[in-house]
Amino acid sequence: MQNTVSKSQVMADHTVTVSRLEEVVSTSDEFDRVVSQALPVLLDRATGYTKRFLRETGQWNDDIEHEKFALRWGSEYLERFLVCGRSEVPCRPLFLFDSLVAKQHSKPEPFCYHPDLLRPLGRFLDGLVARAVVSRDALIALYRHSYGWGAGDVIAVTGLNGLESQRIYKNFRRWRESGWQRTMDEIGLTKTELAELTSQQQRHRQRFNGEAERLIRVAQAHYRKSEPDHYPCLSRAQWREMFTQGYGCDYRIWHLALCLDCMQTAWGLSSNGSLTEEKPRMELLVRP
Amino acid sequence: MGYEEDLETYRTQLLQTLSSPTSRSVSGVMEPIQVYVNERRVGELEGAGMDATLHIKTLDHIETIQLRTEDGTLLGGLVAPEYGYRTSRIQLSPDAVELCVHNTAQGGSLNAVFVPAPSFWSRMGKTFADVADRLAIRRPDAAIAHSMRTVAFTQALLAVMVVGLVLDRVATWMGSEQMLTSGMQPEALRTVSVTEVRKLEQQLGALARMQEKVGEALESQQNGMAQLHHTMAKLSSSHESVASGVVMVKEEMEKRQANLEPETDRTTPHPAGRGVVDQEQLEVAIRSLTEDNTKLSREVASLEERNQTLTAKLHIASVNASKAVDPNPERLLANQADVARKNQSLQVAEGFQNSQAQPFLFWVTFSEGTSQESIDQWVNEKKGHKGSINEGWQEVRIVPPAVPPDLFLEQIRGEKIVKAARIPE
Repeated sequence: MQNTVSKSQVMADHTVTVSRLEEVVSTSDEFDRVVSQALPVLLDRATGYTKRFLRETGQWNDDIEHEKFALRWGSEYLERFLVCGRSEVPCRPLFLFDSLVAKQHSKPEPFCYHPDLLRPLGRFLDGLVARAVVSRDALIALYRHSYGWGAGDVIAVTGLNGLESQRIYKNFRRWRESGWQRTMDEIGLTKTELAELTSQQQRHRQRFNGEAERLIRVAQAHYRKSEPDHYPCLSRAQWREMFTQGYGCDYRIWHLALCLDCMQTAWGLSSNGSLTEEKPRMELLVRP
Repeated sequence: MGYEEDLETYRTQLLQTLSSPTSRSVSGVMEPIQVYVNERRVGELEGAGMDATLHIKTLDHIETIQLRTEDGTLLGGLVAPEYGYRTSRIQLSPDAVELCVHNTAQGGSLNAVFVPAPSFWSRMGKTFADVADRLAIRRPDAAIAHSMRTVAFTQALLAVMVVGLVLDRVATWMGSEQMLTSGMQPEALRTVSVTEVRKLEQQLGALARMQEKVGEALESQQNGMAQLHHTMAKLSSSHESVASGVVMVKEEMEKRQANLEPETDRTTPHPAGRGVVDQEQLEVAIRSLTEDNTKLSREVASLEERNQTLTAKLHIASVNASKAVDPNPERLLANQADVARKNQSLQVAEGFQNSQAQPFLFWVTFSEGTSQESIDQWVNEKKGHKGSINEGWQEVRIVPPAVPPDLFLEQIRGEKIVKAARIPE
């Protein structure tokens, strides 16, 4: 009886919140106030839309991996709405939110979907690479997680100068302090799953790294579209010219982190013989 | 942990992250701010303020702009309009970033400016200037606010000095009263203070007049600025219309050029007056033809020269050979005459070759009732080409005939369809 009452209460609250979201808000402060009171409603709404998109495109399965995937993208859309919606006042927040999600889903390949990327290892890699697109800390950390390098190695491989080197150390520090944990929370990897990944790596190192290399290529190919579109893959001669002339610092950092093939192509160009001859292979590190 | 419970934990975690105020506010950003346009990273703004502007131009329309820290925190953003301007000031407590996005038919552009928080002294100055503004300026215009503030500040300073002077004099007067009680000369002191007060009044009067003048000057400046803005607005609108006109003309020319390209491939002659593009192409073709012609004539000249040299060499060589082989002077002379003859015949052959290189031209009239087909067939039989028609005479060019021209004309005249034939004078 009590359960029924609380359920009906929740339903009533939900209706009130939705009707409030349908009304016009005139100022940014009012927008913030109304939307912050309706976060659960909006998150569920965005998740629902994402599920529907996955169903309609034949990419849905009734399991926790797909549910988490839909939740993650719903949260992503909601975050963008919270920040960008303020500039759209006066507006009706609910309709604005719906249009934002619809706009995202009308893009080709709005998110990186691959069945293997929904398993813990795939989620880990997908989450890392997705984060690298929006966070320089995560981008630099990709070198660490993919090849096991420290800040000094990253600086040597990418051929950075003094000023840029300082930033690399800061990126590493912030990633260790908070970035990694935040990313794990965002992709919903539990402690148990992380422990299982570490255990798998210890037991079957070669197979684990081989699988990681296969999956990271899938993720990189998708997210590399989000890096600046004037950063295409280059030949070794072109990379050599860039390293020798000392230009394209950003190019080197962004592209090499997101392209395993180019990393192997450009390997050793900045080292003056200090790096080993053997090209880098995937040596996944789960923890920073 | 069950399926539902795990999912609910994840959902709660995401909601906490979203509602956490730290996720969207950063105090004192000193790291570079990453700027994303349409969810692609396009550059960064130096948080320290050294390189605090970013200008981006894209061929595509700008849809969204996002500002993020290096750890990926979304600081702020803006949804751009389909066409036109939108500006936004994103507060990053205490700093700010001012965004101005402009979408046109040709693409989009973004101007991002990092505005660092003002220091303590500049804040103090601003507060003081604001107060002075309120006191002295009725309706400040943004463009001349700075000069007005300076004037207002000076006025306020003067007022403070005057007040200070008054207080000083009052204090002196009070002191003089005390001195009066101790047996000093009161009348003299009162006279002094009254004089001072009069002076003060005069100064205040002058100050008020100056203030009025300043007010008038400011009003006139305001009017001037308003007129200037109006003119600038007109100028920018006319500039936009000119720019759009130029773009339209360019597009039109590109379209025409694209349409003309296949015709150029077929090397058909262009009709006159088809436009500037045609003219330019023709000019280029003529120029290249002239150059080729010049090259060709140069080569012919050099070949002729070489030919003459070779002939001379041949002559000398043959003479030498005769000397070496036959010591008899008579035979030598005979040989020389022979060589000269040979040379002559060579020159004749050369002349014949030259004349063969040039087509033989003659004019012909045909018997009445001869069809055009028969004429064409006859010309084809002669392996010739028809030229112009002048008063019934048809110009025909053929490969030079083997027989002399007169004989050739006689042969022609004897043919059935030919009425008369002649060589041009």
